[in-house]
Amino acid sequence: MRRLIKSVCSVVFAALLLPASAFGAEPIRIGAIYIMSGPFATYGQFARDGIELALEEINGQGGVLGRKLEYLIEDSAGKADVAIQAARKLVYQEKVDVLMGIDSSGVANGLTPVVPELQRPLLITHAATPDVTGKLCNKWVFRNSVNINQHMKAAALLAKDLGNKRWTTIGPDYAFGHQSWEFFQKYLKPMQSDVEFMEPMFPRFGSEDFTPFITRTISAKPDGVLISVWGGDLVNFVRQANNLGFFDQGFDVLFTLGGATEVLTALGDQMPEGIWVGTRYWFLAKDTPRNKKFVEAYHKRYGKYPSYNAQNAYSGVYTIKGAIEKAGTTDPAKIAAAMENLTVDAPTGTYTVRAEDHQALVDGYWGVTKADSSYPIRILDPVRVFPAKQITPPPAENGCKLAG
Amino acid sequence: MAAFIAALLNSLEFGLLLFLIASGLTIVFGVLGILNFAHGALYMLGAYFGYSVLHYVDLPFWAAVIVVPLAVAALAVVIERLTLRPIYGRHPTFGLLLTFALLLILDDAVRLIWGAGYHIVDPPSLLKGTVSILGAVYPRYGFFIIVAAVAIGVAIWLLFTRTRVGKTVRAAAIDRETAEALGINVTALFTLVFAFGAGLAALAGVLAAPIRAIGPSMGERIIIESFIVVVIGGLGSFPGALVGALILGAIHGFGGRWLPELNLILPFLGMAVVLLWRPQGLLGRSA
Amino acid sequence: MATSGLARPLGLTRGAAALAGLAAAAIALLALPYVAPYFVIFVATEILIMGLFATSFNLLFGFTGLLSFGHAAYFGTGAYIAALLLRDLQPDFVWVLLAAGLGAGLLAFVIGALCVRLNEVYFAMLTLAFGMMVYVVFHQWRSMTGGTDGVAGFPITALGFGVHGQLGNPVHYYYLVLVVVAASLFALYRITVSPFGLILRAMRENTERVAFAGVPVYRYRLYAFVLAGAFAGLAGALFSPFNRIAVPEMVHWTQSAEPVLMAILGGASYFFGPLFGAAVFLTLERWITSYTTEWMIYLGIILLLLVIFLPRGILGLFDRHKEDAP
Repeated sequence: MRRLIKSVCSVVFAALLLPASAFGAEPIRIGAIYIMSGPFATYGQFARDGIELALEEINGQGGVLGRKLEYLIEDSAGKADVAIQAARKLVYQEKVDVLMGIDSSGVANGLTPVVPELQRPLLITHAATPDVTGKLCNKWVFRNSVNINQHMKAAALLAKDLGNKRWTTIGPDYAFGHQSWEFFQKYLKPMQSDVEFMEPMFPRFGSEDFTPFITRTISAKPDGVLISVWGGDLVNFVRQANNLGFFDQGFDVLFTLGGATEVLTALGDQMPEGIWVGTRYWFLAKDTPRNKKFVEAYHKRYGKYPSYNAQNAYSGVYTIKGAIEKAGTTDPAKIAAAMENLTVDAPTGTYTVRAEDHQALVDGYWGVTKADSSYPIRILDPVRVFPAKQITPPPAENGCKLAG
Repeated sequence: MAAFIAALLNSLEFGLLLFLIASGLTIVFGVLGILNFAHGALYMLGAYFGYSVLHYVDLPFWAAVIVVPLAVAALAVVIERLTLRPIYGRHPTFGLLLTFALLLILDDAVRLIWGAGYHIVDPPSLLKGTVSILGAVYPRYGFFIIVAAVAIGVAIWLLFTRTRVGKTVRAAAIDRETAEALGINVTALFTLVFAFGAGLAALAGVLAAPIRAIGPSMGERIIIESFIVVVIGGLGSFPGALVGALILGAIHGFGGRWLPELNLILPFLGMAVVLLWRPQGLLGRSA
Repeated sequence: MATSGLARPLGLTRGAAALAGLAAAAIALLALPYVAPYFVIFVATEILIMGLFATSFNLLFGFTGLLSFGHAAYFGTGAYIAALLLRDLQPDFVWVLLAAGLGAGLLAFVIGALCVRLNEVYFAMLTLAFGMMVYVVFHQWRSMTGGTDGVAGFPITALGFGVHGQLGNPVHYYYLVLVVVAASLFALYRITVSPFGLILRAMRENTERVAFAGVPVYRYRLYAFVLAGAFAGLAGALFSPFNRIAVPEMVHWTQSAEPVLMAILGGASYFFGPLFGAAVFLTLERWITSYTTEWMIYLGIILLLLVIFLPRGILGLFDRHKEDAP
């Protein structure tokens, strides 16, 4: 008897979980998955800001195909299994039409093989692992942000100009850290034959204490250090490194993602000047009307400057809009097909999503940190923009074999 | 040489801070017989309260160091009376389960109040910057922690060995029934000890705030390390907590540099070895 | 009042009602994919898998009186064995399950041999230590286990023995899980009512007396530990293909805490307590997280109230034949 009650209760619970469906002019729904908690939570927040700004603009101009564009956001917590569950929930329970997001490369690698069963396009706006547009590529997954290949090619070009002999790295111990170093070596070696790569260091992703790695690097006396630690980890790293005199040693320091506004905001004056930092978008780099309008609107609405995660998510929404309009329908398979060869006018520049591997041809940015009294954070001056064509390897090199 | 000094200082800083946290845990176990799973959360609360007090109320650091542990101790009194009292005398696993429930509550409460992201606190200006010792560069605040922890440790030891209150607590820990028969109000004593342990953890939290990332998972990480320390040192042993913490500090400081592959597993290995060879811990009394 | 063999474990008093309840549940579970919305299948699959995990844990906790805080080591090992086999060798799924159960059982034998000599808090701490050691191995051994990124992108093979079905389809997978879990629970149930099971219960009440009666206590504890570990590994092997990934978190102590919570929630002294607890836990999680991300606080409050007022769990509310000891 009690067991029966239990079963009945389960069914009642299940019924409670049924979403209240809205009849009438159905909105188009985007399901977003970003890191909303922990040391990288600001990235998810900036992404959300970018999404909301884009939605406000788009809906203010009549929406997409005459329907309102909406979004839902889930926290991946930087974990692949959580992201997979979130994606299932978004698709089956919340019935979204399109998925976007993913900050962590580890999560992207876990989620990408699952997307085909969900039968929804996934637009990756942050995670940089080459694999999602490489050996794991499939017809449903796209990326509109700079990936590791592009970013490290730019880093290698920069390194070549710096002309250092001995390079080492400190990177987080997961896909992103390892692959950044792998590709940096791959691109730099042919450009500079006498370069020497020292023992790399990979502290735990989400580590709090980088002191042992900092002191070890100082003792090793490299000429240049490539640091792919990012987000909250980078904030911790810089604070500890400042205390240990890391930046006074005389070697070149490259922070691959040090130009992220999230990091610059958290560090404020503690970010040293004169460091080469990379980013996937720099709000002051492009003088185009499109960029100026975006930066102004963002600053007006949120009181801060857009980070690359914000811009990527913002242009991600526009990419989705473009694909739906090109397809003329919200049939997910058709949206995915329409995303191929789609051209989007974004603040970071006009880019096209390549059909062969679904990677967008976006520019890379590196700059030197500098204090500027008219801005509350360190800005980048000078800025080097690496055009997409210069840094994006041809699809044949990726290992992506998209079924016809 | 410089590398060795740096590693040594790092070990001391890490170990002594851990000692402050673990000593509260071990004292509570020794007297109340409860292994408080939520002890790390109390440390975390100390860090968060410290952040709020420094950030919003704009008190100087020294004031925070006094105010925050008192606040958390007060909270601990409430917790003890409402939740722990009903389960004294029950099977020991109840203590673990109940304090685990408290951990869940406190962890999420922190997220609800302060948000899911993380926060930064700067060290007080007097303690910023670095000091050079024998070629090694070390943050001034790190030295402060070492000195402060030693001072607090000595103070606690004196408290327990020289004062009446301290001796009463030790008596109650050794034999509750006799202590009660002698007229000691053991119930009130338990509350006092629990609050003291919580305050100590919170004090460690405030001290740690400028050098650690203040985030919701702070408590989880530190509780496992604390368990290892008290098991190795001996459940209920105050000097044991020091020994255990210094061992873990050494593993962290030296292992991090010279044995990076092994140093994550060594603490657990140490814990297992002690439990199998001498379950009462290195300095614990025989069970 | 007549109490059949099934009544007590279900927390009931009337045998016939127990059987009727069980039959009704079976029908509901079989019919689920046809009557419930699609995503409910995922929830139900997860409940069944975690229910098996929690019941295996409870063999140690509720029946033998040993609180293990490292049970996820076996669950996670099973999950990884399954993921790695599917990624590299792609054997039929039935062999994957078998290998995972055996592998986890073997690990449980090695670790259990060291742990079962200790009591209470020391046992809990030692299982925690070993559990975390296994976690560190999975986390650090990047070349084999993918480190923090885990093992993903593996296919799910056919069941084997010519059984038709596409296990990649959630509905088919649900039925597989249902069959495996039901069979496992049946086996575990038979163990708990066997003479061996009764001795375990006696050991929970008073270990010394049982030892005086000539029972090799440590050996029996080890048997229980290995069985619990093997079934946990089986649950893990169902879990990683379900989630399409095996990650180190599945071996972490926070994963070990879940079956503890589920067993307490449902009632550790009842056989179906942990399964019921799993259902309540996961359903609550789904329900509350649709309103707020902070649901652990509610779970904590419920657990707190249970430990203080209802140590016998929710099923204990319905049991009119409580024994003296908890």
